[in-house]
Amino acid sequence: ASPPPKYQFIGIAPQDERYYKSSEVIKCKDGSKKFSKAQLNDDFCDCPDGTDEPGTSACPNGKFYCQNAGHVPQQLFSSRVNDGICDCCDGSDEYDGKVKCPNTCWEAGKVFRDKLKRKIATYQEGVSIRKQEVEQAKLAMAKDEAELSKLQHEEKILKGLVQQLKERKEQIDKAEEKERLRKEKEEKEKKEAENEAKQERSEAVEKADGEDELTESKYDDKIGLLQDSTSDQDVVEDQDRLAAEDEPSDTFQYEDSMVHHAEQHTAKETVESAAISDAELDVGSKATSDDFMDSGKDASENTEALSREELGRLVASRWTGENTGKETGDSDAEKNNNHEDHEEMTKGTHDEEYDGYASETDDDHQRYDDDSVEDEADEDFVEEHHDDSDSPYKPESDTELDLSDMTTPSNPSWLEKIQQTVWNMLQAVNLFQTPVNQSEAAVVRKEYDESSTKLSKIQARISTLTRKLKQDFGPDREFYSFYDQCFESKQNKYVYKVCPYKQASQVEGHSTTRLGQWDKFEDSYKVMIFANGDRCWNGPDRSLKVKLRCGLKNEVTDVDEPSRCEYIALLSTPVLCLEGKLKELEHKLDLMNMEQPRNHDEL
Amino acid sequence: WKKDEFRNCNQTPFCKRARNRNPGFCTLEAHDVSISAGELTAKLSPKKSHQDNPDQQDEDQVKPLILSLSVFQDGIVRLKIDEDPKLDPPKKRFEVPEVILPEFLNKKIWLQRHSTETIGGDNSPSSIVYVADGYEAVLRHDPFEVYVREKGGNRVVSLNSHGLFDFEQLRVKKEGDDWEERFKGHTDTRPYGPQSISFDVSFYGSDFVYGIPEHASSLALKPTKGPGVEESEPYRLFNLDVFEYIHDSPFGLYGSIPFMISHGKYRGTSGFFWLNAAEMQIDVLGSGWNADSGISLPSSQSRIDTLWMSEAGIVDAFFFVGPKPKDVVRQYTTVTGTPAMPQLFAAGYHQCRWNYRDEEDVENVDSKFDEHDIPYDVLWLDIEHTDGKKYFTWDPVLFPHPEEMQRKLAAKGRHMVTIVDPHIKRDESFHLHKEATQKGYYVKDASGNDYDGWCWPGSSSYPDMLNEEIRSWWADKFSFGNYVGSTPSLYIWNDMNEPSVFNGPEVTMPRDALHEGGVEHRELHNAYGYYFHMASTEGLLKRGDGKDRPFVLSRALFAGSQRHGAIWTGDNTADWDHLRVSVPMILTLGLTGISFAGADVGGFFGNPEPGLWVRWYQLGAFYPFFRGHAHQDTKRREPWLFGERNTELVRDAIHMRYMLLPYFYTLFREANVSGVPVIRPLWMEFPSDEATFSNDEAFMVGSSLLVQGVYTERAKHVSVYLPGKESWYDLRTGEVFKGGKTHKLEVSEESVPAFQRAGTIIPRKDRFRRSSTQMTNDPYTLVIALNSTQEAEGELYVDDGKSFEFAKGAYIHRRFTFSDGLLTSISIPPTSPGKARFSSECIIERIILIGYSVKPKTALIEPSNQKVEIELGPLLVKPRGGSAVTTVRKPNIPIAGDWTIKIL
Repeated sequence: ASPPPKYQFIGIAPQDERYYKSSEVIKCKDGSKKFSKAQLNDDFCDCPDGTDEPGTSACPNGKFYCQNAGHVPQQLFSSRVNDGICDCCDGSDEYDGKVKCPNTCWEAGKVFRDKLKRKIATYQEGVSIRKQEVEQAKLAMAKDEAELSKLQHEEKILKGLVQQLKERKEQIDKAEEKERLRKEKEEKEKKEAENEAKQERSEAVEKADGEDELTESKYDDKIGLLQDSTSDQDVVEDQDRLAAEDEPSDTFQYEDSMVHHAEQHTAKETVESAAISDAELDVGSKATSDDFMDSGKDASENTEALSREELGRLVASRWTGENTGKETGDSDAEKNNNHEDHEEMTKGTHDEEYDGYASETDDDHQRYDDDSVEDEADEDFVEEHHDDSDSPYKPESDTELDLSDMTTPSNPSWLEKIQQTVWNMLQAVNLFQTPVNQSEAAVVRKEYDESSTKLSKIQARISTLTRKLKQDFGPDREFYSFYDQCFESKQNKYVYKVCPYKQASQVEGHSTTRLGQWDKFEDSYKVMIFANGDRCWNGPDRSLKVKLRCGLKNEVTDVDEPSRCEYIALLSTPVLCLEGKLKELEHKLDLMNMEQPRNHDEL
Repeated sequence: WKKDEFRNCNQTPFCKRARNRNPGFCTLEAHDVSISAGELTAKLSPKKSHQDNPDQQDEDQVKPLILSLSVFQDGIVRLKIDEDPKLDPPKKRFEVPEVILPEFLNKKIWLQRHSTETIGGDNSPSSIVYVADGYEAVLRHDPFEVYVREKGGNRVVSLNSHGLFDFEQLRVKKEGDDWEERFKGHTDTRPYGPQSISFDVSFYGSDFVYGIPEHASSLALKPTKGPGVEESEPYRLFNLDVFEYIHDSPFGLYGSIPFMISHGKYRGTSGFFWLNAAEMQIDVLGSGWNADSGISLPSSQSRIDTLWMSEAGIVDAFFFVGPKPKDVVRQYTTVTGTPAMPQLFAAGYHQCRWNYRDEEDVENVDSKFDEHDIPYDVLWLDIEHTDGKKYFTWDPVLFPHPEEMQRKLAAKGRHMVTIVDPHIKRDESFHLHKEATQKGYYVKDASGNDYDGWCWPGSSSYPDMLNEEIRSWWADKFSFGNYVGSTPSLYIWNDMNEPSVFNGPEVTMPRDALHEGGVEHRELHNAYGYYFHMASTEGLLKRGDGKDRPFVLSRALFAGSQRHGAIWTGDNTADWDHLRVSVPMILTLGLTGISFAGADVGGFFGNPEPGLWVRWYQLGAFYPFFRGHAHQDTKRREPWLFGERNTELVRDAIHMRYMLLPYFYTLFREANVSGVPVIRPLWMEFPSDEATFSNDEAFMVGSSLLVQGVYTERAKHVSVYLPGKESWYDLRTGEVFKGGKTHKLEVSEESVPAFQRAGTIIPRKDRFRRSSTQMTNDPYTLVIALNSTQEAEGELYVDDGKSFEFAKGAYIHRRFTFSDGLLTSISIPPTSPGKARFSSECIIERIILIGYSVKPKTALIEPSNQKVEIELGPLLVKPRGGSAVTTVRKPNIPIAGDWTIKIL
C-alpha cells in the first residue's frame, strides 16, 4: 500500500525537492542503495539513512520537514511523525487522521518575529559597541606591551647596578670584618673584661644589621605557617572579609598577621599548638561528616554517647553530607571548610595586596601562585616594602616607577639618575681606607637596598604584565578589558562575582565560596570556564560555566546550579554581538517577512 | 559500609547458639501421629531419656509442639510447627499474614490416610503421605525428621536430618530473668525471652543452591561454613538500609525472601521456603562440614546441607518438588503470587535523580530527551520535591504547579513518579501526622507510646502497616482528592521502608517496638516494608477505581512483593563491581518471584567514568526494571552529558530496549501467568548444562535472548559461554556462533554481547518514539532465527497496556511457528475465561529470517492470497545496520489475525 498521492512528497525540504522529483529511481543519500519513486514515503524504511522516508516514521534516522508558513520551518526527527502529538505549528506532522492539529504558525510566528526584531536591534547596537571595545583593547594592549618592553630594558640595567652595588657592599663588609678582627685582637690583648663586654654589644648591633634580611624571611615563614594552620574563628572571618572586599588594603592583612606575630612572639610554639588544634579539628570533622567510607573506629565508636536525635542526624548526614545537629559537629565541619578557604585565600590576598600596591591596574595573578620563584620574590618584596614604610628611608613614590617616566619621556629618567649616583658613589668609596668610612659604607648599603627593592618591583610588574599578555583574549583581543573587571549578580541571598581570567565566587554575608578559578574559554569564546573551586562534600570541586550572550552591557543575568556544585551563569556582553550573527538574524527575518503575506491569506 | 554498626552472628545470641550446636542436638520425637482435617498432624516432645538434659530443664521448654503437614496441588508440601495453643503459651506466636495467596489454600489436597513404614535401618516408624505423582512426604518419628522423596526412593528435600532442630518456647518473665540484649547503646527488652527457631535443611542431588535475597553476592550461594571456608557470616536476612553496601558479601540488605532453590544436573530442581518475617540467618554448609558427627544420610546423591535460624515466629515451611527450574518457580509463586502485570510504560526507560530540583529542571530534562531523540517514559522526583519531607505535599517554591507539570509530561505520553516513604514527619501542622496520632495508627515503642525515630524529616513516626485498617487509611491518601497536586499520570516510589530509622539500632526500628495485637517488631520486621508497599499499591488501585494498574517501586521487599510492584537493588555505587553484582542480584530476585527488578543504572553513589556509564546502560537496557538514578552529590549524568559519542551509544542502548519492548512485555505477561522471571539464569533454560550452573555474568532474557555484561574497564575481549546445541545469532550483526562452547569475542563499543537463540522468534517494534505511549499503533517486525532443522517459534502478548481488562480476556496472545518454510500465527487460548476482547490495528511490516538456507524471492500470504517481495535488508534499521538478511518486505498482515506466510 503506497501512500495517498497527497502525501507522497510530504516532509521533503524545498531544497531537496529536485532530488526526489527528478527521476524514477532515487539514491539513498548515503549511497548505500537505490529506491523507486513508489518506495518514497511508502512507510517502509529502505535507506538506512532515512532518505526514502522523509514523510513517515519508518526510518529512525529520517528527518521530517515542516514548512510552518508564517513561522520558521522545522526539521523534526521522524519519530515525531504521526505519533499523536502536534509538533509543527502548521500541523503537517500529524496527517494520519488520529489527531487534529490546528495551524498556529501565524500567532506563534508573530511572537517569534517580534522577538527576532528586538534581538536584531540589540545586535545592531551591540555590534558598534563591540567595535569600539576592540579598538580600545588594541590601545590598551599596545600600552601594556610598551610598558613591558620598557620595564624589561630597565630591569636589565638595574640588574647590573644592583650586582655592582652588591659586590661593593660585600667588599665593604669584608673590609669591616677585617677591621673588626684586628680591633678584637688588640682588645683581647688588653684583656679588660669591661671593655670586652662593651665591644660585644656594639658587635651585636652590627650583626643584627647584617642579618636583617634573614630574620625577615624567617618571619615570613612563620607568618605563612601561622596563617595556614590557624583555626581561630576571628582570623577566619577577617580573611573572609578581606576576600569579599574589592581591593583589599594591603596593610590590613599584613597588620593582622603582624599582630599575631607580636602577640605570639615565640611564634614557633604557637604554630605548633595551632597545628595540634588543627589536627584535632580534622579528627572531629571526620567523625561527623567526612569520609564515612572509612571503616575505622571513628564515628561508630562514638555513637553510643550520642542522643537519639544526634544519632539520627549523624546517620542521615551520610547520605546528604549535611552538618549534623551535634553542635560541635556543626562548627567543626564549618571550620574545616573555612580553613580550606582560608588557606587558599591567604595566598590570593597576598598577591592582591601586592598588586594593589605596586600598580594602579588591579592585577591579579593568584592563578600562578604555586608555580614560580617570581612569586616568592613578590612576597618578599611586599614584606620588605612594609618594613621600609616604617623606616625613614622611603624610596621614591611608586607612581614614578610605574608611569611617570612614560608620561614624561623628555626628562632624564630616574634610571639614568640612579646610574649616575651609583657610578659616583662607587668612585667615591675608598675601600682601601682603614677603617672604612662609616658614612660612605652606609650610603652604599642604602643604595643597594633601594636599588634591589626597585629591581624587585620592576620584576614583579614585568611578571604581572607578562602574565596578562599571555592570556587568550580572543581573535580580536575583544576580551582584553575583561581582565581587569569583575561582574556581579545578586540572586536571593547570594552575590555572585565573576572575574574573568581570575576567579568566580559566591558571597553570602561574610562567607565566600570559591566557585572556580579561571580555566579557559570554550565553544569558540561563547563559554568561560572556571574550575577547581572549593570542594563539595562527597561531590565534585565547584565549577562555573559562564555562557556569553550578546547584550549591550556587561552583565551577569542569571546564575543557576543545575547539578550540585556545578554552576552556570549567563553573562550578556557586547563582545558577543558579532556581525555575522547579526546578518544571519536579519536574513532570517527577511525570509519570514517574505513568506508572511501569503500565509496570512491562507489562514 | 559501617560494618561495626551492624550485628554479626556472634553478636546475635540466637545465631551464635544455633551455629554452635552439633548434629544430633535435637531430641524431639513425633508422637500422636494422625490425619485430621485433611492434614497429617503430630506432637513433638523431647524423648523421655533426654529429659534430664540440663539444657531442657526449663519446664516451658518441654511442652509438646504441634506439627501439621499438608499437601497442595502441583507438588507442594507445607509443614507447620508451633506451640500448642491449648497449653497456654504466654501469647500467640506471629504468623505472617497476607503473604500466602488465599487461592492457594483452595489447592489443598485433603489427605485421607497415611501409611506407616520403617525405612532403612531406622528404629522407629515413619508416616508417609502422598504428595503428587511420584512424590511422597515422610515424617520420621524418632529422631524426628520430615522430608519429601521420589516415590519409594530418592530424597528431594529434608528437614532436621542432622538433628539441629530447636524451638525456644515463649516464657513468662520470672524474678531474676534478664533477657535484655544491648547493642551499640540500644537495649532490646525482649519481654518473652529467647524465642528463636532453627533447623537444618538438606537438598539432594544438588550441585548448587540459589535464592534467599537480598545480598550483594554471587548467584550460586557460596558455602558459609565448613572445611575450606574462611571465617564467614551466614547469609543474613534482615531488612536494613545499608549505607554504601559492598559487593560480594552475605550481609543482609533491604529485603528478605527466605526461599532457597537447589539445582543439580541429575535430580533437577527443588525448593524450600520458610514463611517467617523475623531476622533470619542461613548457613550454606560446605561439603564435609559434619564429617565427625556420625550421622550419615541414607543417600549417595550429592547433597547440600543448610542451616536456617530465625529469631522468632513459627515454622511455616514449604517444600517444592520441582523437578525443573520453572516448576519450582511456578510452585513458589502458587503460594506467594505471581508478579503483577505492569503497565507498558513501566517497562520503558525511567529517568531519576536525587533530585530534579524544580519545575524548570523537570521541563529542561524532559525537553533534552526530545532534543537528543532519546525515548523515556517516566521522570522521577525524589524527597526534595516535598514541602519539608512531608510526603503527599509539594515544595511551594520549587514545585508550585505540580499538576501542570504532570500534564505537560502526559501530553508527550510520559509519566511521573514521586516518592512516598513510611516515616511521617512529627509536625503538628501536618495533617497526616495529626490524623495518625489521633487514631493511634503509629507503631508503638516498648512502653506503648508512639515510636519516635529519626529519618529525612527529622523526628518521625511510622504507621503500623500490619493493621489492615491502617493500610486502608493509608491507601486512601493516594486519592486525587487527598494527594493534592497528583494527576492520573503520577505513580509512586516507596523508599526507606525497611524501615530505615537513622537513630535506631542497626539503622532500623527497635525489635521490641509494638504493632497491632502486641506483635513485636522483631516478629515482622522483614515484612514491614512489604505491608507498606502493599498499602501504597492498594492506594493506587483505589485511586483508579481498580481499573488502572498500579506502579509502585519499593526498596524493602519480602516474599510476595512481586504482587505489589517493582523492586530495585537500592543504593549501589558507580563502580565496576557493582555493575557486575547487579546481575546475580536481579537474577536471584527473579528466581524468588520478583521478576520486575533492576539496579540503579550508572550507580547511585559516586561518579561513573564514561566507559562504565555506557556499559551500565548497555546492560541495564536488559534489566526488567530500567532506571537511571544518582545521588544528589554526584555530577549530572543525563544521557546527553558525556559527549556526542557516548550520547549516541546510550541512545542506541535505550533504543534497543524500546525496540524489544513487545518481547519484554510478552515476558512480563509470562511472569504474570507462570512466575517464570523475565530475566533468567542460563540454567533455567539449560537445566542439564553444568557449565551454566554458576554462570552469573550472562543471563537469558526470556528463552530467546542471551546477554553478557562487560564488567571491566576498556575491555578488549570478553568470553561468552553459549549453551545448548543450537547456534546463536548476534543481536546486532546477525553473526552466527556455535552453541555449547565458550567464545572469546572482541568487545564492541556499541553494545554488550547479546544473542538470539536459533529456533526462536522475537517480536520487535523498530520505530522509535518519544515514549512507549506513542508506539501503540506502530507496526511490528518479527525476527525469526532458524535452528538446524529450519524451525523456530515465539510468542507475542499485547493488551491495552494499562487496565485490568486483560484479566477478563482482553488481550492478544499469538504463537508464531516456522517450519517447512511456512510461518504460522495462531492464537494462544486464554488462560482464564473472560468475554472481554482487545483489538489492535497493528500490522507486521517486516519479517526477518536469519539462518535460512535458501534465497527466496517472494512469499505468499494466506488466507488473503497475496504475494509479497523478499529482499535483503538490514537486521537493524539504522546506518551500518548489520549484514543483509532475508527480509519479507511489507507483508502488512494484522498482528491480531490468523494467517500463514509461505516462503516461496
